[in-house]
Formats: sequence, C-alpha cells, structure tokens
Amino acid sequence: QVWQAGKRQASRAFSLYANIDILRPYFDVEPAQVRARLLESMIPVKMVNFPQKIAGELYGPLMLVFTLVAILLHGMKTSDTIIREGTLMGTAIGTCFGYWLGVSSFIYFLAYLCNAQITMVQMLSLLGYGLFGHCITLFVTYNIHFHSLFYIFWLGVGGLSTLRMVAVLVSRTVGHTQRLILCGTLAALHMLFLLYLHFAYHKVVEGILDTLEGPNMPPFQRVARDIPVVSNALVNTTAKAAALTL
Amino acid sequence: RQFEGYDYSQQSGFFPPEMMQQQQPYMGQIYQPTQTYTPTSAQSFYGSSFEDEPPLLEELGINFDHIWQKTLTVLHPLKVADGSIMNETDLAGPMVFCLAFGATLLLAGKIQFGYVYGISAIGCVGMFCLLNLMSMTGVSFGCVASVLGYCLLPMILLSTFAIVFSLQGMMGIILTAGIIGWCSFSASKIFISALAMEGQQLLVAYPCALLYGVFALISVF
Repeated sequence: QVWQAGKRQASRAFSLYANIDILRPYFDVEPAQVRARLLESMIPVKMVNFPQKIAGELYGPLMLVFTLVAILLHGMKTSDTIIREGTLMGTAIGTCFGYWLGVSSFIYFLAYLCNAQITMVQMLSLLGYGLFGHCITLFVTYNIHFHSLFYIFWLGVGGLSTLRMVAVLVSRTVGHTQRLILCGTLAALHMLFLLYLHFAYHKVVEGILDTLEGPNMPPFQRVARDIPVVSNALVNTTAKAAALTL
Repeated sequence: RQFEGYDYSQQSGFFPPEMMQQQQPYMGQIYQPTQTYTPTSAQSFYGSSFEDEPPLLEELGINFDHIWQKTLTVLHPLKVADGSIMNETDLAGPMVFCLAFGATLLLAGKIQFGYVYGISAIGCVGMFCLLNLMSMTGVSFGCVASVLGYCLLPMILLSTFAIVFSLQGMMGIILTAGIIGWCSFSASKIFISALAMEGQQLLVAYPCALLYGVFALISVF
C-alpha cells in the first residue's frame, strides 16, 4: 500500500515535470544572443512598415525580472524601508513579477482587441527586455541620490526602452486608433512603473540623509528651542532602527 | 556452545550422507539441525549485526575524502572540475556550511537562520527548474542542492569578515562583489562540467550570482 501511494506521488511529480518541459524550447539560448538582445532592447527601430521580429525567449526576461528584484531589495535595504505586513523579499518579488505578468497579460488582451499580431510569449519577452532600462536606471539612482539625475535617466533610458517596445508594437498593428490605444497604454504603464519604483523607496532615504549627515544639519546647539526638532528626528530614527531589528 | 560444538564434530563432513545413512535418527537429525541451526543462526546473525556491520560514517554516506575533494574544487576557482564528483549527492557538507554561515551571522549579531534556510530552499528549487530547462540531460534536486551548498563556502569567509569590519564602505562593496563572483564562478563551473553544457557558463553563472547576491545582502545589512 505504501508502494501504491509512492507510485501515485511519483506519477503526479512526473506530470508536473512534463508540464515544465513545455517551456524547454524557450530557454535554449547562447550568451552572445542574450547580450545582443539586451543591447537591442534599448535601440528603437525606425522601420515600422513591416512586422519586426521578436525573439520568443524567456531566459533573458526571467533573469531581468530577478535582477530587478535584487536591485529593489538592495534599494530597500539601503533606505531602511520597513514593511509592516509582509516581508521585504515578498514585496519585491510580488511587485516585479506582478508587473511583468500582469501588464503583459493586459497588453496581450488589448492587442487581441486591437488586432495586433503578437503572441503571449512574445509579449512576455518584449516587456521583459524592456525592464532592462528600468534595471539600469534604478541601479544608478539608488546609489547616487539626485532628483535631477533620476529625471534625466527616467526620460532618457526609460524613454528609449519604451520607444523600442512601442515601435515594435506599431509595426505589428494596423490602424491609427488601435496603435494609439495600445502604445499609449504600454508607454504610460512602463514609465509610471519606473516612477513608482523610484519614489516608493526614495522618501525614506532623503529623510534619513537629512537628519543624519550632510552639511545642512546644524551643529548641536545648546539653545532650548532647537532641541525638540533634533530630538524628534533622533527619536524617529531610533524607533525605525529598533523596529527594523525586531 | 559446547553442545553445538559436539554436534558439529559428530556431523563432520556433509549432511546428506548422514541423513541418507540413518533413517531412524533422521527424525532426530531433523530436530538437531533446526535446534542447532537456530542458535547458531541467531549467534551468527548477532555476530554479523555487530561485527560485519559497515562503519557508521559509511552507512550514513559521509565520505570525508570526497567532501574534502569537493571543498578544494570550490576553493580553487581556476582548477578544472571533474564531472564525476557530483554523481553521489552528498548533503552533509552543505548542511555543515549552512550552519556555519548561520553561526558566523550570529556572531555578528544577526539571528537570521530562518532567512538562510528559506532563501537556500527557494534558490535550490529555482536553480533546479532552470537547470532542468536548460540542460539536455536532467539534473536531480540533490545534485543542485549539493553544489549550491558547497559553493556557499566563500560566503562564510565574507560573513566572518563582517564580524570584525563593517562591509558598507567602498572596500566592503568590492570585497562583496569579488566573493559573489567567486561563488557563482565555482558553482557554474561545477554545473557545466557535470551537465556537459559548454558555452553556457555565463548563463548558468548569472542566476547563481543573483542567489549568492541575496545571501551577501543578508551578510552586509
């Protein structure tokens, strides 16, 4: 009877494995191909008259999503973000995978409505490679905290990857209204996501930087009226540090 | 004991001729072999269970020489790995390394055993799925867990360093990046040689680097 139970478990595991096998052709890549596609994802194509080829590959996009998770985690740790319900890791993974899978499905649905020639795997691949721009921007701006630098990167790098995705989609859709709907939605969602990722974890950084270091901080004065400001900031940061260690 | 010895001396030679010769004591001899057999079998069984039993380490599958070989393979990143060393999946070494990693984190004041176990479990499952998808031959979960556990050894050096010095300066960043590169390079080298995936070392090294990067994140912050 134990053997029967074991056999049932093994067959269930085998069917699960067989399901994974469906994804096998999408992972057959060479490093040179991945590198080429990463660089291509930042170059908007000029020719929108005939359908552009999209590589239906899932290795690159999956690695980029995981890289984004790692960068988010690093940013959250450096800015001492405290997540009350849930964990840092769970939030980061949920945000990135939710964006990748959710927005891909939504745009695929819109593409179905607008008669665009694109499959689900291709959409996943396109959006995944579009996250390369996000990774670069966040990696730079989480370490160097200047608002103006972030805006330059947002428009420049984010804009380039969005333009590439938009150009590919435009080349595969017929009709002006459809093109406008599809590409407008994608561009808005992509740029807003980058904005959200930066600002969700940025405020805390600025707050701590202002109170702890920097030339803006006046030296400790023995005047009674300055003490409440400094002590409030100190109490806040110690409370945050205590909550983080708990 | 003496009785049995006496019986053996009486039944010197073979059983069948004696059984054929004497029909009437045949009944007795049926008894005697069984009588003498069971005590001797019990004794011999008892003897084999005590003396012939394999040594404890061998039974548990812990082979110190192999553990040492694999550790050396990890510690010399430029040494060519032998594909056959990963044939037996050995989880004793990785267990020790995980515990040592948790212990060094404890010495630095971070009680995060739960994070170490959780991340290593999820990371092993993820690498198992990815390697099964990317390789021609499949790979077993034990093999993946074993390799990833062995390549955690340089990370233990990093967290030992973090006990004494803070890793949040420029020096710490460079050291962390170097150790992550070392770990993922060794892991990908062993995976490539065990699964015969030439030309894809970078593709295997990158997910390993992400996984060890998360471990480094725990050590640094």
